Amino acid sequence: MTATLAASTEDAPPAPEVKRRGRGRSGQRTRTFYLFVGPWIAGFVLLTLFPLGYAFWMSLTNTDGLSPNWSYVGFENYVRVFQDTQTIESLGRTGIFMLATVPTGVAAGLAMAVLLNRDFRGRTLFRALFYLPAVVPGVAAALTFKIIFDKNAGAANAAVGAVGGEPISWLADPYTRFVLILMILWGVGGSMIISLAALQDVPRELLEAAKVDGASPAYSFFKITLPILSPIIFFQVVTGVIGSLQVFVPSLLLAPVNGPAAVTAVPEGNYFFMVHVYAEYFAKSHFGYASALLWVLFAFVLLITGIVFKLGNRSVFYGGVDPTEKEGS
Amino acid sequence: MSKSLGSALTRRTLMRGGAAAGATALGAGALSACAPSAGGGGGGGKTTLTIMAPENEFAPEFLKSIEEELDVKIKRVEVDTTKLTAMLASGTAPDLVRGLGAVETSFYVARDLALPLDDYFAKSDLLKEDDLDPVNDVWRYDGTVQGQGPRYGMAKDYSQDAMFWYNAALFESAGVDLPSETEPVTFDQWLDMGKELTKKDGDTTSVYGLSAGGLGLFISLVNMTASAGGSLFSEDLASVDFSSPEAQQALTWYLDYARSRVGFSPVEPNPDGWDWPPYQTGRLAMSWSGYWFGGAIAAEAELAETSRLAPAPTMGGERLSACFGATGYWIPKASKNPDEAWALFEHFMGGDPAKERAAGGWGMPSLLSLREDLPTGTVAQEQALAVQEAEADYFKVLTFSPYVKVEAVDAVLNEFLPDAINGDATAGSLADALNPEINALLEEGKELVK
Repeated sequence: MTATLAASTEDAPPAPEVKRRGRGRSGQRTRTFYLFVGPWIAGFVLLTLFPLGYAFWMSLTNTDGLSPNWSYVGFENYVRVFQDTQTIESLGRTGIFMLATVPTGVAAGLAMAVLLNRDFRGRTLFRALFYLPAVVPGVAAALTFKIIFDKNAGAANAAVGAVGGEPISWLADPYTRFVLILMILWGVGGSMIISLAALQDVPRELLEAAKVDGASPAYSFFKITLPILSPIIFFQVVTGVIGSLQVFVPSLLLAPVNGPAAVTAVPEGNYFFMVHVYAEYFAKSHFGYASALLWVLFAFVLLITGIVFKLGNRSVFYGGVDPTEKEGS
Repeated sequence: MSKSLGSALTRRTLMRGGAAAGATALGAGALSACAPSAGGGGGGGKTTLTIMAPENEFAPEFLKSIEEELDVKIKRVEVDTTKLTAMLASGTAPDLVRGLGAVETSFYVARDLALPLDDYFAKSDLLKEDDLDPVNDVWRYDGTVQGQGPRYGMAKDYSQDAMFWYNAALFESAGVDLPSETEPVTFDQWLDMGKELTKKDGDTTSVYGLSAGGLGLFISLVNMTASAGGSLFSEDLASVDFSSPEAQQALTWYLDYARSRVGFSPVEPNPDGWDWPPYQTGRLAMSWSGYWFGGAIAAEAELAETSRLAPAPTMGGERLSACFGATGYWIPKASKNPDEAWALFEHFMGGDPAKERAAGGWGMPSLLSLREDLPTGTVAQEQALAVQEAEADYFKVLTFSPYVKVEAVDAVLNEFLPDAINGDATAGSLADALNPEINALLEEGKELVK
C-alpha cells in the first residue's frame, strides 16, 4: 500500500504539469474567443479599416477615380475642407439637424412608450399602429410626404388654406428642412419600441413602494423610471447622434429630381454634410477631396460621440450604482 | 508630382478599389451591386454579361430570349452613374452600359474607358455605315472634336430634344392660339404663352403653362445660348462663359421663366420629378421634350387626341433643333467579354428589338432603314412625325466638354440658382458667380486627362 502510495506519489504529476493544464484551458478559451470574434475582426479589417485607410490614401491625391493622371497633393484637400463654405455650412446644418431630431425623437419615443405602457383597452393595437411607420420603407415614406406637402394639391396646404393661410412651397427652401425633420420623426416608433421594452424592466415593487411613500407619478417617473431607463436612453442618443450626422438618403428622396441625379438638386436646407460628400464624390468626381471630407466627418463623429459619452457618464445610471457616488468613490 | 501616362496602368491598378473604399466609407452601399464579377464563366461555362440598363429596355422575358439566342447569361444592373463610376474604378466594369452620347462620350473616351467599335461596325451585317443616322456621330470623338474619329457607341433612338409638346385642349380652354407646326416661336413668345396658359387660384397652381427643365439645366442653357447664336463653351471646351451676350440672353430668359412660376424650377419643384405625370393629368400645358415623349402620350387615348409636337423655340440666332441625349449604349474598354457584348449590342441596335422600339414611337430610330416603322396610328403620332421630319433640317448636336460630368455643372447651377431666382440677382451677377465655379471644375478635369 505504501509502495503503491509511494509509487502513486512518484507518479503524481509534477507542479508544472498542473500549470500546463491551466495554460491549456486558457489557450482553449483564447482560441474559442478568437474563433468567435474572428469573423467580426475580419469584417472590421476588410470593410472598415481597409476602406478608411484607402480613403485616407485617396484624400492625399486629386484623383477622380477614373482618370489616369492623378497626383499626390499632400494635405491640400484637408486645408480645402476648412476653406470650402459649402462644407462648413453643410456641417453646421447637419449639427442643427442633429440637435433638432435626436432629443425630439428620443423624447417623443419615450413619451409614446410611457403612454403605451399603461393598461388600457386596445393597447396592443395602438402599439402596432404607432410602430407601423417605422417599418414603412424610406422611399414609400418620402413619396407619401411629397404628396402630402405638394404645394398645389397636398393635404398640408389644404390645412393651411382652411385656416386662411397662403399655400406654402414646402418642398423648396426654406421649408423643406421642416418636411425632412417631420419625415424623420415620423419613424419615431423605432425609439418607442426600445423604450417600451426597457420600461418592462422597471421593477414594479420600486414604483409601488414609492407610491406607498406618497410619491407623485411625476416624482416616481423622474426619480425611479428615468434613472433606470437612462442607459437605454443614452444608447438611443449615441446611435441617434451618429445616424443624424450621417443623414443622406432622405435628403435625396425629397429632392425634386428623381434618381441618382437627385444629388444635384437637393435644396439648400437639406444639403447636409453627407449629401455634400456624395455630390463631391459622384457628381463632381472629386474622389480625393470627398475622401478628405469623410475623414473630417469621422473625426467630427468621434468628437461629438466623445462629448456625449462624457456627458452621459454623469447622468447614466448603471445597475444600481449612482453615477455621482461612483465618481466620488 | 503629376504622373506620366507611361505608368498609368500601374496607377490604375492602384486606384482599383478606390471607389469601393470611398463608397463603403460613405455607407452608400452602392458597391454591393457591383460585387458580382462582370467576367465570364458563370453558370455552366456560359459567358455572363453584365449590362447596365433599365428594365423597360431589357425586361426579364426579353433577357431570357436574348440569352437563348446569343447563348450567354445576362445580369442586368440598374442604370446609375454612381454605381458605374464605382464599377469602372474597381475593375468590375459592366460589359454594356447605357449612356447619353451627347454629354458622356467625350468624358469616357478622354479617360480611355470606352472601347472603339469601328472594327465591329465594319464586320456587322446589321449595322451598316450607310444606314446609320447622322445622330450616331455624337458617339464619335477624336480627342478634340465630338462627331469625328472612332465610334464608341450608338444611339438606341433619339429625339430633337429642344422641341416641345403641348396639350391643345388646355390652349383652347385658355383661349391661346396654337403654335405653328413649321415656324418656331421665340423663347419670349413661348414664355408669354406659358404665362397665359398657367391657371392659378391665389398662389395655388392648377395648370402650369410651361415646363422648361428639358433634360437638365445646364444642357438647356447650352441650347438656348446656341440658339441665340453663341456658345457657352470655349472652342477648346475647357471653359464656359456665361457673360457673353448670348449666354446672358439665355440666363435672363431662365430667370424670367423661374420667377414667373409658370413651370418647374429649383424654387418651384416638381414633386413627380419629371414632366410626364403633370402632363398626363392635364396639369401641364407645354413640356420641353422631344419626339420620344409621344411614346408615353400614345398610351393615353384621350391625351393623344389633343397632344401636338412643335418646333424648337429660337432665341433669334440661326434656327437649330438640338439633340441633348442620343441615349444609347457603349462597351467599356475593361469589359472582359467585348465580343459577346458586341453581339448583344448589335442585336439590340439592329435586330428585332430596334424594330419594336421604332414601332413604339419612343424616339426616332438610329437606323435610317427603320424610319418607315415609326407609328402613325393616331392623330398625335401622324402630326408629330410630320413636324419631326420637317425639323430634321435644323438638327444640331451640341458639343459637350470632356473635362467634366454634366451632373457636376448642374450641381453648381442648383447651388446658385435658388437664391438668384428668389432674390434680385441679374443675369450678369449670376454669370459672375457661375463662371469661376464651373471653370474651376473644368480646369481640374483638364489636369486629369491631359
